Amino acid sequence: MKTWRNLFLGLLILTSSVAGFWWWTRPAEQAALPPLLAAGTSAEGFARALAPREFVFPLDHGPHLDFQTEWWYYTGNLETDDRGDRDDRGDRGARYGYQLTIFRRGLTPGATPADGLRTNQIYFAHFAITDVARGTHRAAERFSRGAGGLAGAQGEPTFAVWLEDWRIEALNADGSAVRLRAQEAGLSLDLELRSAKPVVLQGERGLSPKSSAPGNASYYVSYTRLATTGTLTLDDQTVAVRGESWFDHEWSTSALGPQGQGWDWFSLQLSDGRELMLFQIRNADGSLDQVSGGTLIAADGTTTRLLADDVVLEPLETWTSPRSGATYPIAWRVLIAGHGLDLTVRAQVPAQEMPFAFTYWEGTVAVTGTANDQTVMGFGYLEMTGYLGSMQGVF
Amino acid sequence: MVLGVALGVAVVIAIDLANASASRAFALSTEAVTGRTTHQIVGSSAGIPQEVFRQVRVEWRLRASAPVVEGVGIAPALDGQPVRLLGIDPSSEAAFRDSLGDAGTRNDLGVFYTTPGGVLIGPGLAEQGDLQPGDVLTVTVAAREVGLPVIGVLQPGDGASAAALDGLALMDVGQAQQVLALGDRLTRIDLILTDAEALDLAERLPAGVSLVPASAQRDSTQELTAAFQLNLTALSLLALVVGMFLIYNTIMFSVVQRRQVLGILRQLGVTEPQMAGLILFEALLVALGGGLLGVGLGWLLGQGAVRLVTQTINDLYFVVTVRDTSLEPLTALKGLGAGVLASLLAAAAPAWEAATVPPITMSRRSAFEARAARLIGPLALVGLALAGIGAVVLLAFKALLLSLGAMFMIVIGLALMVPALTRLLLRALARSLAALGIIGRLAPRTVTNAISRTSIAIAALMVAVSVTIGVAVMIASFRSTLINWLELTLVADLYITTPAAGGASGSAALPEGVVAAVRDLPGVDAIATIRTLQVESDKGRINLMITDSQERRSIALYRTASGDPDTIWAAVQGGAVMVTEPFANRYAVAVGDLITLETDRGPQGFPVTAVYYDYGTESGRVLMSRNVYERFFDDRAISGLAAYAAPGTALDTLANDVRRALAGTALQVSINRELRDSALTVFDRTFAITDALRLLAVVVAFIGVLSALMALQLERARELATLRALGLTDGQLWRLSLLETGLMGLSAGLFALPTGAILAVVLVYVINLRSFGWTLELHWDVWTFIQALAVSVIAAVLAAVEPMRRLQRHPIATALRQE
Repeated sequence: MKTWRNLFLGLLILTSSVAGFWWWTRPAEQAALPPLLAAGTSAEGFARALAPREFVFPLDHGPHLDFQTEWWYYTGNLETDDRGDRDDRGDRGARYGYQLTIFRRGLTPGATPADGLRTNQIYFAHFAITDVARGTHRAAERFSRGAGGLAGAQGEPTFAVWLEDWRIEALNADGSAVRLRAQEAGLSLDLELRSAKPVVLQGERGLSPKSSAPGNASYYVSYTRLATTGTLTLDDQTVAVRGESWFDHEWSTSALGPQGQGWDWFSLQLSDGRELMLFQIRNADGSLDQVSGGTLIAADGTTTRLLADDVVLEPLETWTSPRSGATYPIAWRVLIAGHGLDLTVRAQVPAQEMPFAFTYWEGTVAVTGTANDQTVMGFGYLEMTGYLGSMQGVF
Repeated sequence: MVLGVALGVAVVIAIDLANASASRAFALSTEAVTGRTTHQIVGSSAGIPQEVFRQVRVEWRLRASAPVVEGVGIAPALDGQPVRLLGIDPSSEAAFRDSLGDAGTRNDLGVFYTTPGGVLIGPGLAEQGDLQPGDVLTVTVAAREVGLPVIGVLQPGDGASAAALDGLALMDVGQAQQVLALGDRLTRIDLILTDAEALDLAERLPAGVSLVPASAQRDSTQELTAAFQLNLTALSLLALVVGMFLIYNTIMFSVVQRRQVLGILRQLGVTEPQMAGLILFEALLVALGGGLLGVGLGWLLGQGAVRLVTQTINDLYFVVTVRDTSLEPLTALKGLGAGVLASLLAAAAPAWEAATVPPITMSRRSAFEARAARLIGPLALVGLALAGIGAVVLLAFKALLLSLGAMFMIVIGLALMVPALTRLLLRALARSLAALGIIGRLAPRTVTNAISRTSIAIAALMVAVSVTIGVAVMIASFRSTLINWLELTLVADLYITTPAAGGASGSAALPEGVVAAVRDLPGVDAIATIRTLQVESDKGRINLMITDSQERRSIALYRTASGDPDTIWAAVQGGAVMVTEPFANRYAVAVGDLITLETDRGPQGFPVTAVYYDYGTESGRVLMSRNVYERFFDDRAISGLAAYAAPGTALDTLANDVRRALAGTALQVSINRELRDSALTVFDRTFAITDALRLLAVVVAFIGVLSALMALQLERARELATLRALGLTDGQLWRLSLLETGLMGLSAGLFALPTGAILAVVLVYVINLRSFGWTLELHWDVWTFIQALAVSVIAAVLAAVEPMRRLQRHPIATALRQE
């Protein structure tokens, strides 16, 4: 009897110390300021995206301070550049994905006061590199006030967005060529991106509705295929890389409608010279919002708008994040019958969750399938939000 | 007796509590504002350009960096309580400040960033001001009244950071720049660096800013008050010393009174160690009882002491808000320990006495006194030696702690000489007293016959009274020196200053246009400006004062100088500096030395041309001419303004004109007389606690005398009864008793005069100089001495009243039958 009790007590102590130790040594949370995004800053006074408008570049690559939310999104798929020097590992054709995004959140509409560090603009940024061969995904997040030269964005005289030393700077007048630089402990990139195609106006001439209600929309422009060269550094190993990138620039005041739970968003670059942007808005009740759709960009840059009925997105496989517990579909069947496309989109690495102020999945994907019965391949990026909690009010 | 221990312990605890509370509040508030910071980038108190922060964070990639803007405002609605304004950047904060962490997560950051002047306040401030989110906290800062909308109340995670949040108003760094009118400047940059990073960064920094270890900043601020706090502790220990005499006296009394019982015990076979143990155990019990009582009493006294000590620290050093005066176990233990130790020490002699006397003599009444009488001579020699050693130590060593120790040795040494001196004095007086008849002959003999106890009472009273004299003379000297100095320095007619927390003058800049507004007023003959700020130097962060005054300074203001006032002033115009006496003492700087300041043009050496008397700040000050300052610094702000009235202008009228001209600012306009008075008010406030301690020492001594006399009289009950039986009238009895105690009081008073004088000299010329670095002119006031003499005689005489009344109630027969 006594032996049992001692055993039980021993076990209890053991379990609780193990649990305590785990709790004690659990990974430290990232320096996150969640209310920054969920902040009850009212949208009052901010402009809304209601109707298509004229875009002027490079000015419109810059910030739109009348709108509350804005982001500059660079993603790309790269491989080691076998024309140049071999990398340290001697690998050929090792594949990488990268993401460098700078977000702007306006606290009040309009320009920032010019003196001191006062500001009404908060910038934050996400930077991630996926090493496909090793199956690793590493990411970093930063916050800064938009003042004192710490973070900011400009369209003129040349386009630039920066958060401290994470910088996106135009290399030419219209901003279709940029240099990206970012570094964090053991992680850095320095890339030159040059667009082969003209700027793409997504949705209806650049107005991209995010719910059936008017005003819940964004202005959305992209460069869908940017030839990319440069270097990546992972843990002191620098590799020369080349590949293709994608740039999205979106600004809005209230994007998701009241029912919106999250979205799945695809940017795919196909081997036949076409690109595909697809998104679907998932409602809290599990239904899809009718504004879902996308854009098909032809090899010559002409665009075709895709509506909800044109596209079927079917999850094939899921992956559950051990960190957050969220379950993400990491393989999809993409069926666009009207354009003869039947594609399978699969994450190159399942674990590409971004564990930040808001948790989402954003990562490199590989595409296989057919286009009008011809084999087609490709790479792209997939973003999935709202799988842990609603994105309502976040954007 | 218990009361004596209790009082001694109480005083020690009260002072320790006050010191500890102030230090803890300081440490907490620095912890709250420095957090895990290892290094700081600082500039002069004009601040550092915010561009430096961008360089540090973006170009040099030191991401564990945070910009900080800090200032002090005064809340008129909260009785002028200081409010610490702390401006931070939430997105740089995470690594730094735990206690403020909640600010970032519980409140709406959008509101935090964008509300003009919006503050998050500590719970203490919210409670005091009855402030809720939505209310406005009005503070005076940088000479302006500013309304700070309360956007939230900080909720501390634990008790420690609750205290740290006291008096704190947290705001966005950009908003703080606005409120404090700093423009594009920061107060400092906090960093977490490795040593290698620090070395690297120090080389890169532009001129005018420098990298310092965070601890250095903390330490130097706290060091400021070290001497002040040490002095208070020393004074509180003096009270304990007086209490020690008391304990000795009482235990000795109990030994002597029970000599029969103790003798019988010895005869019954109680060994010497057992006997000593018995007495010591008694002392221990008494000490514990008294000590515990003292802890409680000390806590009560401490509440008042904390207020006084904090007030002084705010007046003279830095702003600290103390609300937590909880008694730390360590403080209580320290006080209790001191009490017990002192008791055991005091009981050692009686214990030894009880243990070593052969059983047969023990029961004999006069044996003890006879032994005591034999000891008087050697004791006096020991005392003389002790005082001598004290004097030598005082002259040979410069350390403050040693100096205080030496002062103790001198006092105790002199006290040990009291029995011998008393005997001498009374023998000398015996003849003249004999003229008074039988009473006059009896009284001095009674005192000398019970010398083992009477001399202790006399010594206790002597120490207390001499401390009173010493401290009073020191304060009077200080005050008269200050008055002289103020006369010499406050030569202008009107002074315009920024209001600042406590009594310290502010270094906030005057709003633009003030100089012109005052200069152009009719009735103003001339003006002079000063700028006070802190700059980095080869001696650490120092106070710099800039003046454009052309007024010839009195020669009396110079302690050491390289020439007459005109040559000195010419040298200062040419790039030399003057330093104050405390500065010269603190940093061992002499005329001819170079002081290197971090200027906006890089490090620059300035020769010292004179050391001048200054009682404005004990941390010292460097004085520089404005034309020189403007060559090396970009700052053009002005902290204060002095105006000279045209002949024949009424100062009151002019002051009102100036006030009208400056309406809308929160500037203070004072006539020189008012400024002098307010300086003296601060002075008196500073010494309030010293005065209180002095009084406490007298109270302890009074209780000592009272208990000693009571014991003495009760012991003599039979003797007195015999006298009464022999026909001594009540009146004669009274006279005898009063004469006895009067003689004791007189002895104490007379011995206290030279001892007090010695103490005063030591305090003025040694302790003050070594603690604070300034020379005072000794100012003797005859009244102090007369008062002291009177106090000791009156205290002694009063102490005779109660024992006498009690004695009178005893029928003679009962008293006679006692043995």
